[in-house]
Amino acid sequence: MFEPQAMTKVIIAGSKDYMGVAIDALHNHNVVHITDFVDEDDDFKIGKPYASATKLSQRAVSLRSIASYLGITGKEDIPNTYPQGAIADEVDEKTERLNFEVTQVTDKISDTNSRIKDINDKKRLLDPLKSFDLPLELYSGYRSLAVFVGTLKGPPMIGDITPDYELETVPYGKGHAIALFVPREFEDDVLKRLQDQSYSALSLPKMAGTPKDLLADLDSQRSELEFEKEKSQQDLEALRKRYIDYILASDEYLSIATQKAEAPLRFATTKNAFIIEGWIPTKKLENVQSDVDRATEGHVMVATDASEAVNVEKVPIALENPMPSEPFEVLVRAFSLPRYNEIDPTTFVALIYPFLFALMLGDIGYGIVIIGIGLIVRRMLKSKGIRDLAAILVYAGVITLVFGLIYNEFFGVALVGAGGLILPAYAYPTVPRFDNVLTLLLVTLVIGILMLTLGYVLGFINEYRQHGLKHAAFAKMSWLLMLYGGVVVIIEILPPLTTGTAISISPALVGGVVLLVIGLLFLLLDEGILGIAELPSLLSNVLSYSRLLSIGIASAGIALAVNRLSYALFIDRGGVWIIFGVLMLIVGHAVNTALGILDSGLQSLRLHYVEFFTKFYRGGGMKYKPFGYERRYTEEQ
Amino acid sequence: MVDPIGGGMVALAAGIAVGATGIGAALGEQMIGSAAVGAMAEDESFFGRGLVMTVIPESIVIFGLVVALILLFVTMPTI
Repeated sequence: MFEPQAMTKVIIAGSKDYMGVAIDALHNHNVVHITDFVDEDDDFKIGKPYASATKLSQRAVSLRSIASYLGITGKEDIPNTYPQGAIADEVDEKTERLNFEVTQVTDKISDTNSRIKDINDKKRLLDPLKSFDLPLELYSGYRSLAVFVGTLKGPPMIGDITPDYELETVPYGKGHAIALFVPREFEDDVLKRLQDQSYSALSLPKMAGTPKDLLADLDSQRSELEFEKEKSQQDLEALRKRYIDYILASDEYLSIATQKAEAPLRFATTKNAFIIEGWIPTKKLENVQSDVDRATEGHVMVATDASEAVNVEKVPIALENPMPSEPFEVLVRAFSLPRYNEIDPTTFVALIYPFLFALMLGDIGYGIVIIGIGLIVRRMLKSKGIRDLAAILVYAGVITLVFGLIYNEFFGVALVGAGGLILPAYAYPTVPRFDNVLTLLLVTLVIGILMLTLGYVLGFINEYRQHGLKHAAFAKMSWLLMLYGGVVVIIEILPPLTTGTAISISPALVGGVVLLVIGLLFLLLDEGILGIAELPSLLSNVLSYSRLLSIGIASAGIALAVNRLSYALFIDRGGVWIIFGVLMLIVGHAVNTALGILDSGLQSLRLHYVEFFTKFYRGGGMKYKPFGYERRYTEEQ
Repeated sequence: MVDPIGGGMVALAAGIAVGATGIGAALGEQMIGSAAVGAMAEDESFFGRGLVMTVIPESIVIFGLVVALILLFVTMPTI
C-alpha cells in the first residue's frame, strides 16, 4: 500500500531443449519482467529467435492489412472466445483464402474508382462544349483548316487577321468557350492572338457524337459504376461481419505466437543452455517456480538471486493499492512511478486530492452532477485510464457535496435558512463562503502548512531509508524546523506590523527565531550556501494554498452571476421569457460545472505535484512489464 | 462609513494587484507551457514534470491575490 510491490530477482536457467516449454509456462503466468540481455561476450550470446518468427510476423502483417481494409481496429468485442488450437491449425490456409477474397473486392473497388475518375476527366473536357451542336469527330482531321477548341478570357477578335473564319462561342465560367475554324495559313497568327487572351486548349477525347449526347451517356455510365461500387462495398461489409471474430482472434494468436518465438532475443544463451534474468513479484514466486518445474520436469530452474546488492533503479515497479485508492495510481503515474525504495504516495493522494477538489468546488448541486457524470462515464467507457479518472470524479463529487452542505450552496444559491430553498426556519450551522473569506483564507494556509509537514515527514522517512538518519535530519528536518519557526515568527510579528505598534519580544517569538536558526544551520550543513536560495519557496508554497479559497470563490461567483442574470433578464418578466431564463440557467451551470471540474481538478493536482511531491518524492521508477499477454479473443486449452 | 474615494482607491489597487500579476504569470507560463508541450510531444511521461514547471510562475499571481485579499478585507474596513 505505501510501497511498490516487493520484487524478487530471479535467474531462470536450463537446457535449451526445454526452452520452448519454459517460455510457454512463463508466458501463461504473465508475471516475469524480463531484463533484456545485452552484454554479449565469448561465453554468452543473445539467443536466436525461433525459425517460425519470420513466418508468423508475415502472417500478422497480411492479417493486419486485411483488417485495415475491413475497418477492424482491434478494439471490438466479440461474443465468444476462440480456443487457441483451432486457430493454430487453420490460420495459414484461412488467412490466405481471406486475403484472396478481400483483395478481389478491394481490387474491384479501386478499379471502379479509377473508371469513375476517368469519366469525370472526360466530362470536365466536354463540359465547355455542351452547348455546341457539332459532333466531336468534326473537330479534327482537316487538311486546310486549323481548329481551336478551348477557353479564353473574352470573345476572340480576329477579324483583322482574316474575315474568313467560323466561330462558335458561348460564355463559360469566368470567360468564354470557343470552337474556331480558320484556314491553315492563318493558324500561327490566330494562335498568337488567342494566347494574348489566355487561351487554354482542350485536348478532346477520341469519341463520336455531339458533346451533349456524350455527356448524357457518360452520366449514365457513371451512375452504373457507382451502383457497382456500392455493391462491392456491401460485399466488403458482409466479409467484415463474417470474419471479424476470426480476424481478431487470429491476430491475437499471432501476436502471442510471435512474442513467444522472439522471446529468446532477450535471453542469454550458451551452446546448450539458456539463462533468463528478470523480476517476479515476490508473492507469485513460488507459484511460478513450481509450475515451471512441473512443466519442464525439473530441467529448468527458477532460482532467486540475492547475491547482488539491489540496484533500485533496475527494479521494475508495480504499484499495489487496495481497491478504494487504486484509481488514484493514475495521478501518481502521470507524475512518475516511484523508485523501489521510495514511498508510494497513492494513499495520500487518494485521501487529499478529493478533499482539496471539494474544498474549491463545494456545492451540493455540482457535487450531484459530478457524481452522475463519473458514474455514467464509468459505465459507458472501457478504457482503464478513463474509468480511473471517472472513479476519482465520483470520490471528489461526494466530498464536494459534503462541502456544499457546509458552505450551504446549491447551484450558487443558499439551500437552507433564511433566503434558502428549503427549511427557511431551520438553519444548521453553515459557513457561507462570501461571509467568511478571511477565516477560510486562514484555513487554506493551515491546510498548506499541514500538507507541507506531511511532505517533509515522508521525505524524512525516504531519506532515512536511503541515506541514514543524519542526512534525513539535515535535509528534511531543517525545512520542517524553518517552516514552524517561520509560522510562529509571522504570527508574532504580523499584528504589530499591521497596526504599527512596537514588536514586543515574547517567548514565542524567541522560540520561533531559534527554530529558524537551527533549521537554517541544518540546511547550510546539508546543501551549503546555495540552499538559502531555496528559502523563499517555503513561503510561496504555503501561500500557494490560498488558491483553494480563490478558485472556490470564483466558481461560486460565476454560479451566483448566472442565477442573478437569468432572473433579472428573463425569469422575472414571466411568460415565455421563463423558458429563456431556464435555458440560461442550464447552459450557465453546465459551463460552470465543466470549468469547475477542470480548474479544481488541475489546481488540486498541482498542489500535489508542485507543493507536496517535491518535498519527498523523486520518482523515475521503471514500469513493470511482465512477459505475457492479456487475452481477449482467444483461450488456452 | 467607508470613505468613497479612499475605498475606491483600495478596490482599484486590489484589482491592479490581481490583474497585473495575472499578466506577469501568463507571460511566464506562455513560454514555459509551449516548451513543456513540445517536450511532452517527444515523451509523454514528461506530463507530470512539465505541469510542475509550467505552473511555477503562478506563485506570482497568488501573491497578487493575497495582497488583494488583505487590501479588501483588512485595509478596506479601516478606511
